[in-house]
Amino acid sequence: MSSSKHSGAVRNADLDLAGRIKSGDAAAFEALYQQHASRLYNLASRMSGGADAEDLLQDIFLLAYRKVGSYRGESSLGTWLYRLAMNHCLDVLRNRQTRMGQVTDSMDEPDAAPVAAPGPTLSAVSRIDLERAIEALPPACRAAFLLHDVEGFGHQEVADILGVTEGTSKSQVHKARLRIRAHLGAREYSAG
Amino acid sequence: MSVNTVTCQELPVAAYVEGELDPAGERSVERHLEGCAACRGLVADLRTVRAAAFTLDRREPPADLLSRIQARIVSEPKPAARLLAWPNTRAAWGTWLAAAAALLVATTVGIAPLLRPSAPMGSVPEAATPAALVDSVQADLEAAEQHYDRAIQGLEQIARSDSSELDPQVAAVLQKNLQVVDQAISESRAALKTQPASATAQEGLFDAMRTKVALLQQTVELINEMRKGNQAEAGRLMQDLSR
Repeated sequence: MSSSKHSGAVRNADLDLAGRIKSGDAAAFEALYQQHASRLYNLASRMSGGADAEDLLQDIFLLAYRKVGSYRGESSLGTWLYRLAMNHCLDVLRNRQTRMGQVTDSMDEPDAAPVAAPGPTLSAVSRIDLERAIEALPPACRAAFLLHDVEGFGHQEVADILGVTEGTSKSQVHKARLRIRAHLGAREYSAG
Repeated sequence: MSVNTVTCQELPVAAYVEGELDPAGERSVERHLEGCAACRGLVADLRTVRAAAFTLDRREPPADLLSRIQARIVSEPKPAARLLAWPNTRAAWGTWLAAAAALLVATTVGIAPLLRPSAPMGSVPEAATPAALVDSVQADLEAAEQHYDRAIQGLEQIARSDSSELDPQVAAVLQKNLQVVDQAISESRAALKTQPASATAQEGLFDAMRTKVALLQQTVELINEMRKGNQAEAGRLMQDLSR
């Protein structure tokens, strides 16, 4: 899905699909939905903490329909869609945090908190605890972690989707793992 | 702790866990890990987190979500930009530029009150508003306001210098197009005034505003391409606007 590899037949197919969606072809829109809805639903669900996933997915595909005319084929249609989706999720999260008076994070911000301190070695990680630890991550950090570690995108793809450098993607994912470790470690300590 | 000259702070843990180190780098890290239980535990934990993340449950969207989205799409208003006329000659492009600039200035004057936080939408009770939708629209509008404010400063200059060349027919079409969009916004705002908690009324206003923003966005894009002398892209954009 990397933009650097997006050329030739794949690019033409993406441009064709985007053009058909723009002209109102319901089958083309359905093809886009079927290809990406499940993965986007998982992302939206974990970005929002589960509560708004359905609304978010609906908003994402409506936005995609409205904006597909702006797709120029610079990246794959999938990357374009994930970028739009993650921007929307991050906007919603940041607005929610602003309303609640919380400080929001930024992709390129250095992490002020020393999260790499030695901690207890984790035993088996329960899925529920891991979901909670992910939910506690700052939004930008969560976005990179979900795309890379949960959904399996490469760092270059994550960078393309989030509009950051590959190095920033690696840094954010590492910070996320450290924060999750700290969260799970503290939980094990308090439980034990 | 320092083992074999590599300290814990210097240890490239992230790159090691990602498997990005060359053989020499890996050996250096492994030598450190052999003598450092804290870093060994850290590496093991990071690998555990990564492995656990990859095996998280997969969730599926509701089966009827696609049909609900498609129903929303069907109810979307047709883009008002399709009323715009297509200039027949290259000579008309200069006129188009001035007309587009004039349209941009005029419509921005109309939309500016809606973009401010104190606009009537702000008086809608928050509890009655779908949070995600409102957030999305508000974020879009705030970004649009900044975008258009910057564009207008340059465009006003063009409008002033080229206004004498404005083709009356093109100007009339643009004016008609503007009136259609403004009428839609006006009606939606009136509906919202009588039913402030109505999701349908809110969505109607949002849709009308989106149409206007989309028109402005296309117009700005067209002007930019014309300024760059990119006739092929400008032609394509003008075709879009004239549909």
